[in-house]
Amino acid sequence: MRLEVGTFPVQHVSFGSQTRYEDGHLQVNKAALLAAVCRDPRIASADLELAFPGESVRIWPVRDVIEPRIKVEGAGVVYPGACGRPITTVGEGRTHRLAGMGIVEVSRVNWHDAGGDFVEICLDMTGHWSEMIPQSKLINLCLVVEPDPGLGNEAQNDAVHKAALVVNDHVAAATRHLTPPQREVFALHEADPSLPKVIYIWCVHSPQAMSGSPTAFCTMTYGLTQLTPPWFLHPNEILDGALSGPYRTAFAMSWTIVNNPVLLDLYRRHGIDWQFVGVIALRTEWTTQHEKQLMANQTAKLAKLLGAQGAIVTWDAGGNEFIEVVRTIQACEQLGIKTVFLTSEDDATEAAPTMLEPLPEANAIVSTSFFKSKTLEIPDLPPVERVIGLQQKAIGPLRDQFVPTAGSLPPPPRYDDHYGFGSLSCIEY
Amino acid sequence: MISAIYNLALTTGANRVVRGARIEHVCGDPHLGPEKDYAFGMRIVRTALEAICTPVHEPTLFDPLEHAVPLEVSHAS
Repeated sequence: MRLEVGTFPVQHVSFGSQTRYEDGHLQVNKAALLAAVCRDPRIASADLELAFPGESVRIWPVRDVIEPRIKVEGAGVVYPGACGRPITTVGEGRTHRLAGMGIVEVSRVNWHDAGGDFVEICLDMTGHWSEMIPQSKLINLCLVVEPDPGLGNEAQNDAVHKAALVVNDHVAAATRHLTPPQREVFALHEADPSLPKVIYIWCVHSPQAMSGSPTAFCTMTYGLTQLTPPWFLHPNEILDGALSGPYRTAFAMSWTIVNNPVLLDLYRRHGIDWQFVGVIALRTEWTTQHEKQLMANQTAKLAKLLGAQGAIVTWDAGGNEFIEVVRTIQACEQLGIKTVFLTSEDDATEAAPTMLEPLPEANAIVSTSFFKSKTLEIPDLPPVERVIGLQQKAIGPLRDQFVPTAGSLPPPPRYDDHYGFGSLSCIEY
Repeated sequence: MISAIYNLALTTGANRVVRGARIEHVCGDPHLGPEKDYAFGMRIVRTALEAICTPVHEPTLFDPLEHAVPLEVSHAS
């Protein structure tokens, strides 16, 4: 599998009479694009706004940030399977990406109806919260979109995410016939066999158990979110968006998946420091001990059969999902696979460990900080001049108080730097 | 402690751990229908009551499906 990724750096975005890319300047035909979005009868309202780094702007509520990509050679489409897109296996040919910008999906639609798990993410374009979130450093093309309120929750999720993908396809198409200023070829070419074989075990949440639906909206594998046995993916498939869509933190989004530094560093050092075997995508939030242990056993078995001598494990969730994650590490270690765990930590309340089930086999852990904003003592976000999206936000345990989103706000409750994007540092004293 | 993730309860040192059904329905199984769900729930609870009365020396698992608990149903009236 050989994939050439052509990068078009974006230094400026503006609205204009046509959608085109030239010398780092993306011009977007807003009217044509909104007409394309509204062709879906499920869309009740849609608007596009721009947010630039350093502006006194808050984007709320943010469901997803998508990096504009398009497949220009080879089979399939980017972000395959999402919202009914083709499920042809991707990862070959040439894909173009617009770097330095994001498409922000802004909508009041919640992930599912089952309670809890509210969309709680906002992006600030200036201030301390912006410094902590990589997408705040992008030029953001925000699609503020609401579906027909009469639709069921899953149809609403499908409609607004599909609308964001319409924006992706329209914007990225501007590069279709252009020569990329930067090119990078990704392939798992034959490497020095004396280098150790390393696999990436990428755990992704499934909303199936808590929502009660196997088709609830979340991070998708070729469109699927249900609890399924581990998937073996070529990293090129991921660069084409085979894993895409958001969960509930700023670090679990379509943009962070294709830009995941763990994936890219493992890939770029293939044949230099190790042999990169590929990615096992493991669904989490199985709901019995047996299921959790079974997934751990099968993931480790798959890694072993693929020849892995080392593994890196990340996850994007919290709570009981830790069990299948840490048991996977244990099972890998028991099969002789040296395993490193990249994770955030819970607060150290009293004598409780900062991880749910500390196991002796999980003996190489890299922490990306605490995941609760409260533990990190992140100050309230300052007032802003302009809000893109909803002008009010529900707060409080009962979500029955409303505050203006342009004012000072508590930070989103979770930080969760799943893949090590972070800019936080720590001083021991 | 009744827990679907019983190993976690054991490794964190709970003395008596009863194996529950699933995280989303620890003390029963709505897929069984009302009567069997009730009987299953009763079995779990009775196992828990039996566990409380059993001396233990270390974290110990009580599995409702392995414990011969009388399954008579009592109706409060």
